Amino acid sequence: MPDRAISYEELTPGYKFPPTTFELSASFVSKYLKAVDSESDGFVPPLAITACAIAATTKSVPLPPDTTAIHASQELEFFKMVPIGTTIECRIGVLQKISRGKMSMLILELEIFDKDKEKVQSGKATIALPT
Amino acid sequence: MLTEIQEGKALNPVVKHITQEKINVYAEASGDFNPIHINESFAAKTPLGGTIAHGMLSLAYVSEMMASAFGRNWLSEGKLRAKFKEPARPGDTLTVDGRVDCIEKKDDVSYANCVFECRNQKGEMIVTGEAIVRLSNDKK
Repeated sequence: MPDRAISYEELTPGYKFPPTTFELSASFVSKYLKAVDSESDGFVPPLAITACAIAATTKSVPLPPDTTAIHASQELEFFKMVPIGTTIECRIGVLQKISRGKMSMLILELEIFDKDKEKVQSGKATIALPT
Repeated sequence: MLTEIQEGKALNPVVKHITQEKINVYAEASGDFNPIHINESFAAKTPLGGTIAHGMLSLAYVSEMMASAFGRNWLSEGKLRAKFKEPARPGDTLTVDGRVDCIEKKDDVSYANCVFECRNQKGEMIVTGEAIVRLSNDKK
């Protein structure tokens, strides 16, 4: 974790948040499948993995006060199937920060790796911040 | 199954009903406890006027449709690009539709370029986008 919390104003393109790890346990997958009304095929649904990364993102990004973050768009690429029980590492960085009138947009780059450091997913998330 | 894929083919739709309970379970599973999703009194005071589902919950239904059509090819090397147009809300019934827009060949490997949309029971667009998946099994 960083020595101190970074502020939204200090976020600039190229900034990398400290990596976060998640264990994709059977109980996590079970809860996820219940939420999305789906069934298991023995592997972790790729969007369950993304969900962890997005949650890590929303926790990492220091929002301006009284701001509600809206997930505006998402790009994803999957590289391999992930067995239940795998521990993943999410790396998140700032690609772009845009201000348009009363709307700010933060474009984040996501990369997810397994314990063998093989890439599992990558993507971009656009977060809209109405002010 | 993948041999049946051709341009214009409609993918089997996915229909799901959104409830606050599912949103809460999704928040617990993902760890995304943004109050706009789970705190009704907070959400009511925002411009959104009430809680909304996580965008990734709606997108999970898109992935389910793609996995149903393309199986492991989707799960192991699918690509998608999605825009969240309107929020899905508790009580909404979402329908995800998709079709194969075109089939492209790159380096002797065939890929299906699909388009998808997710609408609520009023016909409002919730999510729209494109997805790409490998068809042939002779990669590399």
